[in-house]
Amino acid sequence: MNALGIINFEDNTATIDGLGDYRPVAAMTFLGRYRVIDFILSNMTNSGINSVQVYCKEKPRNLIDHLGQGARYNINSKRGKLRILYGEKPFSSPIYNTDIANFALNMQYIEADPNPYVIVAPSYFIYQFDFNEVLKQHLDSKADVTVLYTNTNKAKTEFLGCDVITMGKNKRIQSFDKNRGNTKNKQISMEAYVLSKALFIELIEKASEASSLYWFKDILKDSVKDLKIRGYGVRGYVACLNSLPEYFRISMELRDREKADQLFKAGWPVYTQTNDSCPTRFALNSSAKESVIANGCVIEGKVEGSIIGRNVTIREGAVVKNSIIMTDSYIGKGAKLDHVVVDKYAMVHHVNKLEGTDEAPVYVKRRDRI
Amino acid sequence: MRSNNMVAMILAGGRGTRLFDLTKKVAKPAVHFGGKYRIIDFPLSNCANSDVSTVGVLTQYESILLNAYVARDQNWGLDVKNGGVYVLTPREKDQADFEAFQGTADAITQNIDFLDSLDPEYVLILSGDHIYKMNYANMLGYHKVRNADATIAVLEVPLREASRFGIMNTNRNDRIVEFEEKPAKPKSNLASMGIYIFSYKLLRKYLVADAKNPNSSHDFGKDIIPMYLKDHKKLYAYRFRGYWKDVGTVDSLWEANMDLLKENSELDLGDPEWKIYTEDANALPQFIGKEANIDNCYITQGSVILGRVKNSVLGTNCRVEQGAKVYDSVIMPGVKVGEGAVVNRCIVADGVEIPPGAKVGDKNSEHITLVAE
Repeated sequence: MNALGIINFEDNTATIDGLGDYRPVAAMTFLGRYRVIDFILSNMTNSGINSVQVYCKEKPRNLIDHLGQGARYNINSKRGKLRILYGEKPFSSPIYNTDIANFALNMQYIEADPNPYVIVAPSYFIYQFDFNEVLKQHLDSKADVTVLYTNTNKAKTEFLGCDVITMGKNKRIQSFDKNRGNTKNKQISMEAYVLSKALFIELIEKASEASSLYWFKDILKDSVKDLKIRGYGVRGYVACLNSLPEYFRISMELRDREKADQLFKAGWPVYTQTNDSCPTRFALNSSAKESVIANGCVIEGKVEGSIIGRNVTIREGAVVKNSIIMTDSYIGKGAKLDHVVVDKYAMVHHVNKLEGTDEAPVYVKRRDRI
Repeated sequence: MRSNNMVAMILAGGRGTRLFDLTKKVAKPAVHFGGKYRIIDFPLSNCANSDVSTVGVLTQYESILLNAYVARDQNWGLDVKNGGVYVLTPREKDQADFEAFQGTADAITQNIDFLDSLDPEYVLILSGDHIYKMNYANMLGYHKVRNADATIAVLEVPLREASRFGIMNTNRNDRIVEFEEKPAKPKSNLASMGIYIFSYKLLRKYLVADAKNPNSSHDFGKDIIPMYLKDHKKLYAYRFRGYWKDVGTVDSLWEANMDLLKENSELDLGDPEWKIYTEDANALPQFIGKEANIDNCYITQGSVILGRVKNSVLGTNCRVEQGAKVYDSVIMPGVKVGEGAVVNRCIVADGVEIPPGAKVGDKNSEHITLVAE
């Protein structure tokens, strides 16, 4: 595929309380064994994109460790390239740390890439998608920019803060607005764009001139009159991980294998870093229901309706319900958890009971001992 | 990675006839174990964890899968500079007929050129059919301290079982004075584990001599070790303590799998200091259904459990449908157990589909039932 893949970072409308303090959304663990970025990156490499740039706003440590040099995502070690890029220059204020600023600071790598097209997409939207389809339609339609969107009838509660598009004839986008949750049926921009590299560079320059606070989505919004920007509807499962309750809801929704199968299709592997964990051991008299469980765990207690990450220990008498327990965490004897998100390497052993709700799950910090 | 000047040679040509249909299409070292592993992952991971970075794998019987499998040396972290996994199969040579490996020693002799090219000081001979975790670097340390010509790893077995093994009779210092293959009246309980360290220069001389001997069966246990002893070479027994199992039969393969269910199992595959590496299956996490009932199981990724599973080991991407029951069984990767089916005391070979409502195995059976296509 003759396109450069650019994995963009999310803007400030996406804040995942707690989890977001330690890593960008891209590097958050998801469904026990994945990181959020695995989905978009696998979409790109499965589509045949062999040159990918991952932009990172801050805290690159997690991403560097997770992504490696790209071999684990099936990026060819000789003919392909995975770059992790960030603004190496300090910003006088975080508000200047926009995607445009980061693209501009790494312009040499964008210019040097031989592919004539770019596919720009953030990692916090998760879906299964073949980019060949949209590139073909982009070329056939002679559009300047093609924008992926999803139809939703739950815009009152989901995709809050995301861009909403309105389209006219031939799916030409007439405007971008914010989803403020006032009506239920909306077309949500997935912030995934297909355009020529030349136009991409031109828009970056234009945005930099317009305002130091501009994001790529802002310059697109300004350009709806001058450019032919078309929508491309994506069918199938699309979710946006842009808040803790949404992260929680989407994780819970995917406990259902049939739902999950929309995201994990045969012949379309979702790659991730492997850890060589051994299988999970369910002890005598343990119990597990309606859950997604990664390898390397020891389950002695009761697990119900939960997502259990790698190498988690759940001791005898513990009851974990409707919760997300991340990698290497420890739930001690007799602890009762309901609607709790336990971050990595945490230990819950001195509290007997933690209880949250769908809207406000309790969050236990990384490396916390409680 | 630092190299310790020792090359490992894994004898992986075994047919494993007592595993019946499990080894109909693959060699015994490629048979699945513990849900996500293959037997050969154990010696390969032990090598990687012991800083033995050059490994020759000698394959012969049904080797297509095995050759391709071990060649991906990055799976065990053996893809290092000046190291790697080398697949060594019988081949045609100048002025010699194409010949299969005749015995364990012959397999090494036929690859003397390979060893010469690496010029190692020591050669570690391993078998590809055992389940155990062992630090070969410690064994090499012992070999060096004793200034031995050969060191043989031994396991202390109950004396009444000793006649099933090759037994090493030693003096007070663990120097081997006699080797007896399956003795009727064993004098010691030190059983050979089929793991040898040889100083290569001397071994090379013996292999060359052995190859010329028409009466030899070209076997380490039967020919090379007795020759060393006859010549009063320094052979030492290296006592290994820990889990070791030859999984040569359906029953013993099942038992070794069941050992993984024990709390504080001696064969702890979760030890972060001594991981067992294997191929990356890239499977989903396990999905446990609403009506699932899991008790005392060892389950790996990709599994979908909707029914009842008890005292069992379940492999990658297997599926147990609603109302299905799996008891005391080893389910290999890719198996589907249909709705309402019952599996009792079985090993179900990889990829087998048990139709809905079917009943396989028997909870009172003396032996384990092997279910294969």
